[in-house]
Amino acid sequence: MEAYLKYYDLLELPPEATIEEIHRNYAGLKALYSVNSMEIRALNMDYSEELHQDYLFRLDDAYEQLKLLLENKRPIVATKAAAVDDGLKEWINGINCFTGGALRNIRERMGVDLKDIFAVSRIQPQYLEDIENEHFSSFRAEVYLRSYLVEYTRFLSLDTQRVLSDYLPRYRIAKECQFLPSRQSRFLV
Amino acid sequence: MENPAKNCKVWAVAGGKGGTGKSFITSSAGTCLALKGSKTILLDADLGGANLHSFFGLNRPRYSLSDFFDKKIPLQDIIVHSGIANLGLITGSIGSLDSEGINFAQKQKLFRHIRALDAEHILIDLGGGTHINTLDTFLLADKMIVVTVPEVTALENMYHFIKSVYFRKMKFIFKTYNLSATIQDTWKNRASCNVRNLKELIAHLRESSDHIREIFDREMSGFVVHIVLNQVRTTKDILVGENLKSVCMNFLGLPVAYSGYCRQDEAVHDNINSKEPFLIFNRTSPVVKEIKTLTENIIAGTHLSMRKDLANGSLPEIL
Ligand SMILES: Nc1ncnc2c1ncn2[C@@H]1O[C@H](COP(=O)(O)OP(=O)(O)OP(=O)(O)O)[C@@H](O)[C@H]1O
Ligand SMILES: [Mg+2]
Repeated sequence: MEAYLKYYDLLELPPEATIEEIHRNYAGLKALYSVNSMEIRALNMDYSEELHQDYLFRLDDAYEQLKLLLENKRPIVATKAAAVDDGLKEWINGINCFTGGALRNIRERMGVDLKDIFAVSRIQPQYLEDIENEHFSSFRAEVYLRSYLVEYTRFLSLDTQRVLSDYLPRYRIAKECQFLPSRQSRFLV
Repeated sequence: MENPAKNCKVWAVAGGKGGTGKSFITSSAGTCLALKGSKTILLDADLGGANLHSFFGLNRPRYSLSDFFDKKIPLQDIIVHSGIANLGLITGSIGSLDSEGINFAQKQKLFRHIRALDAEHILIDLGGGTHINTLDTFLLADKMIVVTVPEVTALENMYHFIKSVYFRKMKFIFKTYNLSATIQDTWKNRASCNVRNLKELIAHLRESSDHIREIFDREMSGFVVHIVLNQVRTTKDILVGENLKSVCMNFLGLPVAYSGYCRQDEAVHDNINSKEPFLIFNRTSPVVKEIKTLTENIIAGTHLSMRKDLANGSLPEIL
């Protein structure tokens, strides 16, 4: 999964980007880096042919990989969504606070095992458990947690945005408390 | 790294090249904030060429920063009225030929007093150049803004400015953690560690130890320079900002945000010359909307996504 995050980063898109956005950004970036544009010429000493070629290579690779990923994975997510019956749907709609515990509850009521999610997303079950336990220190940066949550909620056909906007603020607060001393040091320079 | 407990936000506007529109962007973003009802103060710290007051049609303001430094008059008392509600102005020392007049210690003192001012937003016009003094002041702000124009010479200066800012920031961080020697040694022996530029220096340091990587991740996360592209002349120019973001990341290894652009508009200098504050007297110009957008993006930390608009065919028409 970390590899896929890099691909999204390269295409300057968030992990929930659609295939259309991937096509679009690829075309835009390819155009920028294929000609000797003003933005690149102005780099002077910071420009190197080697860096440039390496970037174009990685961009092409990222595009190919993401195309494969998105083209293969959609149907699997779709079959999962079909398995949710109306009673369960209603119950989920009534949930306002998507804590780790609530997510585990939903998953268990759907009869989904963490190994199932791993099989599709390749996210190690340990991380999935950490999400459900709100064990925030396992996630070095928000981007990782965010992309895992996207995968997790997609698999369960949950409203990704709703879950993210409820879940991530708790992570941010935990991180802020952890880093409080270094924040102040900024003003002592 | 913004302190949520503090309600005043300090913005610093700089950019390397002269004449790109730093004073224009500072004065109009400030006007925009004030018109929305936020108490705002503009501070002209471009000591060599203080002229922010001219954007408000003021000739010779009663007070200037030299009253604060030399006569020890409190900062609050040297604010002059800009002519716009909610908008105060602290002018630079006009006519002072000694542009290195205030040193960094004085600027730090100035910052302490700035943060104590009764205002929601304080916008500082730092002027051009990459003087170490300018860099250090820039780094003290909550919102760091670089104004550039779509022209190769301006972009060269902008890249240089941004690199210098990040390098300075890194040095400060390493100093805080007692690692100054590490960064100096690496840079001194850069040939042997295969480090040719800032991007490679950052990569090398990050890989040198888990400890250093953690420091980087922690201290640099959320550290971002906002780019404003001024004097845009064509629709294609608008994309330059988006491209700069990409190039900064891929060639310099530095994250920047594209906050907004503002088109070239004759009305801008007509208004300055006729001593009319620009935004109020020209509400119909598209420039006003562009200033609003970039101001909102800077406040919210959001950025433009022009590739999307390009694909949707919804890029604004210019010319
Ligand atoms: N969007 C614009 N459209 C038209 N003219 C503009 C625009 N922005 C700036 N200008 C003109 O460019 C000139 C320089 O602008 P400004 O003084 O804001 O630049 P600056 O970056 O502050 O310069 P300095 O580095 O000398 O402080 C001004 O006279 C102004 O009339
Ligand atoms: Mg100026």
